[in-house]
Amino acid sequence: MSFYIPIGPQHPVHPEPLLMKFKVEGEQVVDVEINVSYTHRGIEKGFEYRDYLKGIYLAERICGICNAAHTVCYTQNIEQLLGKEIPPRAKYLRLIVEELSRIHSHLLWLGLAAHQIGFETLFMYVWRDRERVLDVIEAITGNRVVTSYNTIGGVRRDINPQIEHKIRKAMDYLEKRTKYFKKVIMEEPTVLMRTQNVGILKPREAIELFAVGPVLRASGIKHDVRADDPYIAHDEVPFNVATYDTCDVYARILVRIDEVLECINMIRYSLDHLPSGPYRLKLPIIIRPPPGESVSRVEAPRGELLHYVMSDGTEKPYRYKVRTPTLANIPATARMLTSRKNYVVYIADIPIIFGSIDPCLCCTGRVAFVDIEKGRSWVWSYSQLIKYSRERFERHD
Amino acid sequence: MIEILYKILEILVFPGFTFIGLLSLLYEWIDRKFYARLQNRVGPLYAGPHGILQPLADFIKLLAKEDITPQAADKLLFTLTPIIFFTLNLLLTLLLPIYSTSGVISFTGDLIFFVASLTIISIIVYTAGIASVNRFATIGAERAMLQLIGYEIPFMLSIISVALTANSLTIRNIVEKQSGLWYVFGPHILSFIIFVITAQAELERVPFDIPEAEQEIVAGWLVEFSGKKLALFRIGRDIETLLLCGLGAALFLGGPAGPVIPGLEPLLYTLYFVLKSIVILLILTTLRAIFARMRIDQMINISWKYLIPLALISVLLARVIY
Amino acid sequence: MPKPGFMVSEVYRNLFRKRATILYPFKERELVHLPEGFRGRIVFHRDKCIGCRICFMVCPARAIEMVKDEKGLRPVFHIYRCIYCGQCAENCPRKAIEMSDIFENIAFDKKTLVVK
Repeated sequence: MSFYIPIGPQHPVHPEPLLMKFKVEGEQVVDVEINVSYTHRGIEKGFEYRDYLKGIYLAERICGICNAAHTVCYTQNIEQLLGKEIPPRAKYLRLIVEELSRIHSHLLWLGLAAHQIGFETLFMYVWRDRERVLDVIEAITGNRVVTSYNTIGGVRRDINPQIEHKIRKAMDYLEKRTKYFKKVIMEEPTVLMRTQNVGILKPREAIELFAVGPVLRASGIKHDVRADDPYIAHDEVPFNVATYDTCDVYARILVRIDEVLECINMIRYSLDHLPSGPYRLKLPIIIRPPPGESVSRVEAPRGELLHYVMSDGTEKPYRYKVRTPTLANIPATARMLTSRKNYVVYIADIPIIFGSIDPCLCCTGRVAFVDIEKGRSWVWSYSQLIKYSRERFERHD
Repeated sequence: MIEILYKILEILVFPGFTFIGLLSLLYEWIDRKFYARLQNRVGPLYAGPHGILQPLADFIKLLAKEDITPQAADKLLFTLTPIIFFTLNLLLTLLLPIYSTSGVISFTGDLIFFVASLTIISIIVYTAGIASVNRFATIGAERAMLQLIGYEIPFMLSIISVALTANSLTIRNIVEKQSGLWYVFGPHILSFIIFVITAQAELERVPFDIPEAEQEIVAGWLVEFSGKKLALFRIGRDIETLLLCGLGAALFLGGPAGPVIPGLEPLLYTLYFVLKSIVILLILTTLRAIFARMRIDQMINISWKYLIPLALISVLLARVIY
Repeated sequence: MPKPGFMVSEVYRNLFRKRATILYPFKERELVHLPEGFRGRIVFHRDKCIGCRICFMVCPARAIEMVKDEKGLRPVFHIYRCIYCGQCAENCPRKAIEMSDIFENIAFDKKTLVVK
């Protein structure tokens, strides 16, 4: 006999609110329904009331951990609209801070994944070593997590040789510790039991359901925005795209650990080859770009991030749209969480499967309709949304 | 007449309920502090010197919190299960040989009584989960029963191998037979390892804290208890830790045996007993620090495929060598 | 070949290392070190201000309010709205605004969190 379990909006362990209703029979999960409408904040509307310089700070606060990726995407968008090119030193500095924030995000996620499978000791060790990255980021930008380093036309501060020395020492320490964590993941039998053959996403399903980021790369598909569509200085700094073939949670952990090792190498290379010159273009405070639209994409730590802007010549954008990687991974998660013929999902696997896509639900909020009296909730399909928006446009014309 | 008064004092104060209560709080402090040091943290720090009063502070705080009974729960069982859990655990501590080679109460076959009561305690856990009518509690209770199926047989087999060597089922005789060489240094090292692993499963600690898995089913079978009932469950769990560490010390490490100064015997015996059970407690804490949590089907798999054959081999060794 | 209890040696080595926790805020405040360029609370020098209103136009959180006093226009900073971005300090043409390294900006009353 089956009943419904909510992994609900308030939960002691998952830090962000979402509702997942599972239909379970005994210990096996049969069906799932995901509702992500709890963190809708109206950010896309907020962009329309702020001019472009203030919009950087709104874009930064879409997500706390991937804030470097959001600001790189935003400033790249506006620079494309204006048709300006930033100086080479600014590109390398942006790359260093972006890769540092990627190391920070992956180490934070590794600690949380260890916590989801009950391995508290690894959680504490990884978060202790993450403090070194935060110290380096603080020395470069002035703040630990929310960096505020990018601005339209370049970066806001320069680095001096003391900071460079600090970065190199931290990279050596982190490389040693990351290799140790990789050995722990690969050799501790309880971790292997919980992560191998759990949360399988076949390559065909991954492409059909539009998975992005490490979820896609753990299913064997070699796709990375930094390699396919290079932005800032990624066409000059060499790196390898990490893929694994086993399509399960174990592969996703190893993909992220390999990405940390690659980031360490990229930072060392860019410190060695840092070009000299100005680090910022002088632009006015209130910018009025010519009317037009622009799209930019960036490899955030969680996957491919897309920003779209449409400007009408004034100092505020006419429309701004953000598509975050976690939203793209949610259908793939729903597929991973249902049992099929010979693939069984247990209740005990739910936290680690959901955690393995690196959920950042503050980026994800979309709107759902709830009718309290009748007790049901529904979302609109794409065609309904188009119909509604056309009717409103005609009524206000 | 004075004998009865003396016995009542023994039961109530030393080494009875008060002493056991305080000692179990001390054990919880040692467990938390050691676990924190293994992870490069500090552990309890501010309540009392080095945080030694922290478990007492937690207990008192829980007693003061609001006690909510859900509407759909079975009220009789919901109220009774914490009391029975706590009382049964406290009763069993009277059997431990703390201040001499026999406990406050000792009778023939008390080892069987001990092990059977531990099984009843696990069934009380199941009843507590079912009585609080809540999905998470039901799943937690069901997992607790499945875990009982997994660890019960190796637990009993490891104890039986010791009893076979000592030729008796009374804890007093087993302790007295170890005056020459402690059993852990003999062929019972395998039984000792199995005993430690299954004690970890009985106490529901990582890697076997499956019934109480915080990330998946909030708090498992404990989810609806709050206030005084939760305080009774927590201190009952601490006393159960003391029970199993004490049983391990009595069966494998020679109980309170050690070099004595005649005249100071009860004090020294207590000291040796406490030190030996702390050694077992530290082993259990290390196990807690180095593993991740298992899934329930994996736990039963490992238990029936590896632990039970090893336990049978240890029983065979005990029969053959002695 | 999986080795159970792989972390045992590392875990026991940590028993003898110094703890990684700093006992801030009761005991070890001096161990919290802040790099230069840390973006903390705003410090305002009245004598250098010329009243150009650039900080007011640029602040993303609208935490600056312009008031008139005997020398002319000057800003008043509401710290409870400040997001510590540093735009005002960066754009001030006379460098009258500076970011110090005070990071404990909490109070029981909102009116005390104002820099005049």
